[in-house]
Amino acid sequence: MPASTPSEPTAASSATEPTSSATPEEPLSKKPDELDAAGRAEYLAEVMAEIDAEVRHRRASGDLPAGLERELDELFLEFSPVGLQGKARLRENLALVDGAAYVDIAVPVESEKKIGVYIKRLIRKSLNWYLGFIVHQIVKFSWAVSRMFHLVVDHIEDLEATVESLRIPELPATAVPVTDPGTTWWADQAQAAVSGVPGRVLHAECGNGSLVARLIADGVDAYGVDPSETTIEPAIERGLDVRAEAALDHLEVVAEEALAGIVLSGSVQWLHPNERDRLVALASSRLAVDGVLVLHSATPEAWRRSTSPLVADLAPGHPLHADTWTHVLAAYGLSRTALHTGGEVRRLDRVATSSTDATTINAAIDTVNDLLLGPGEYLLVAVRDR
Amino acid sequence: MTTVHQFVPALLPRDATGDHTLALRDTFRNAGWTSNIYVEAAHDELLTEATYFEEYPDHAQPGDVLLYQLSTASPVADFLLGRPETLVLDYHNITPASFYEGWEENTAEKVALARRQMAELAPRATLGIADSAFNAAELRAFGCLETEVVPILTDIDAWASRQLVDAAEAARLKESHGTGARLLFVGRLSPNKNQHLLVEMLWLYRRWYDPEARLALVGPAITGTYARAVMEYAEELGLAGAVDHGENLTPPQLAAWYSDADVFVCLSDHEGFCIPLLEAMHFDLPIVAFAAGAVPETLGRAGILIDSKRPSLAAAAVDRVRGDASLAEHLAEQGHQRLDTFAVTATRARFIEVVGGLEADRAVSA
Repeated sequence: MPASTPSEPTAASSATEPTSSATPEEPLSKKPDELDAAGRAEYLAEVMAEIDAEVRHRRASGDLPAGLERELDELFLEFSPVGLQGKARLRENLALVDGAAYVDIAVPVESEKKIGVYIKRLIRKSLNWYLGFIVHQIVKFSWAVSRMFHLVVDHIEDLEATVESLRIPELPATAVPVTDPGTTWWADQAQAAVSGVPGRVLHAECGNGSLVARLIADGVDAYGVDPSETTIEPAIERGLDVRAEAALDHLEVVAEEALAGIVLSGSVQWLHPNERDRLVALASSRLAVDGVLVLHSATPEAWRRSTSPLVADLAPGHPLHADTWTHVLAAYGLSRTALHTGGEVRRLDRVATSSTDATTINAAIDTVNDLLLGPGEYLLVAVRDR
Repeated sequence: MTTVHQFVPALLPRDATGDHTLALRDTFRNAGWTSNIYVEAAHDELLTEATYFEEYPDHAQPGDVLLYQLSTASPVADFLLGRPETLVLDYHNITPASFYEGWEENTAEKVALARRQMAELAPRATLGIADSAFNAAELRAFGCLETEVVPILTDIDAWASRQLVDAAEAARLKESHGTGARLLFVGRLSPNKNQHLLVEMLWLYRRWYDPEARLALVGPAITGTYARAVMEYAEELGLAGAVDHGENLTPPQLAAWYSDADVFVCLSDHEGFCIPLLEAMHFDLPIVAFAAGAVPETLGRAGILIDSKRPSLAAAAVDRVRGDASLAEHLAEQGHQRLDTFAVTATRARFIEVVGGLEADRAVSA
């Protein structure tokens, strides 16, 4: 196995395992060809559920380490023209340029006949003055180009080092609290927003899957993803279609316009700005026209005062105001936005109007309530434009 | 008498668009209509079947309908834009340029030009015919007001009957591999077809289920850089001897590759119709396919549709169909039923109905 091959699955000997660990635990009482149209659809849905379960089993057993498929994709890019930014391949190609920069005018004179050698040598000697002049200029140009490439590569490596030093570490998974989204104030609004949409609905960062369960009970074809395998365990035990994947990783591999709705919650509110843009771009492209995007976030003020210090200090980004999100979503073709507010409401009480200077004090209290307090969370519902 | 002339950039033998154009010409003629083919270029074998497109004005008659087979960039598109006749588009999909960017800039520029031509032609067309609802939606997005979905005219039974399997090729394939699973994908080697993900899937599949499994990639290497990268990648993963590439196959040789396979796997990001799915159904191959582009509507319930192109999911799905004979049989049965919906006789009749309806509309409005 080459050194650059992605990390081996931990259970390398798994090839000896039974060839299908996804065999249904309770076989169907009817053969598939005896089923009617609805039964056949249900049968295929059961098969898909077993396939999903098999992937989860591989993940849990260590056969499919987190990030393995991303590593494979990155390895493939090294073979692409766009993958030439890889440091090793840059240097490798630079060496080829260096090697080809010198042009030899000593043309080989070997020949099967002795007279051939003599004639070739004569031609070479008589043309040396002419070729030498031209080759000298070509070599000069080649070396100049080669030197320029060396400077460019040095510069790129400096830039890469700088970018690496600025890289923001990911928030430790243990720092993120386990969520129960189905019991939150915004679950009703989220459910109403995607109720009846014609297609699949993804809940990204679905926590324990409680909102997914509510949506399914409402007749929505819902499934969820969450980066934490332990968080989704209750959902898997309930038989929900929930997968241990980060939202970005999952949306990357979903077909364009394949989803009728997406609910974003959890760490979407504190993503790094670059990742936030990528997430919104992906979500927009994966939504069908008129598909619904639901986004839950804390307000920046509430987040600062109520989130855990670990998350607040280590999160790569911070929540945005609802207006800012509206602007960001609109830039990616997600408009017709509706805003719901809720969560913990903290307000200063106004003083009685009989008090001295009550008007002045109440004006100040209103300002504080408006700017710093008020509803701590909001839910945005946007629709993908045509 | 109805006159429908077809315009196509290139008329090639053993090519989906070429076969479709010839079959449609015959369909129109069998209906008693006048129909000729005008081209920018034609293969030597088909020179007698076509006329150079710039000669059309010499043959033009009032009431002609011009039907353009839209699949690539061509000066034919600019020519048609300047014609006063009724224009009908028959759209077979143009892969978006974004798939080729970074891989093959020339191809990216060419498909971008084709899409620009489509944007100009679509609002001008009286009718857009698409071989899938996915393609029809693209036509409408480009401004075509009236669209109809009619499948591509491919007489699979005619070329792919079991009697046409090349016996020598079948024997060669059988000798070249052991008892492991043989996975197949047919389609040009191109970034939108994601053959590199099939290689990743094979890598996982061999580790998890079957160390002797092999992958066959059949199709021309349109974008050399991508094809080269896929094969180098396979070598890097230690799969050089387990990935076979077949191209320039005759129909009987292709039939041998289908007959030799156990599962057909498609992880394409963008397919306008995907004829190989129908071919795989014809050969009773269980199908595992990523639900992208027109794949879900072409496949129907005749295969396992996966909602993500993750190689791990594809590998598990392949194992599921490999390890369950009743499921494989069920899918094969569904495949045959699905093929009936693309039967060539029904498709011919539908073309006559749709294009003939256009003629009737014109008569009413006159």
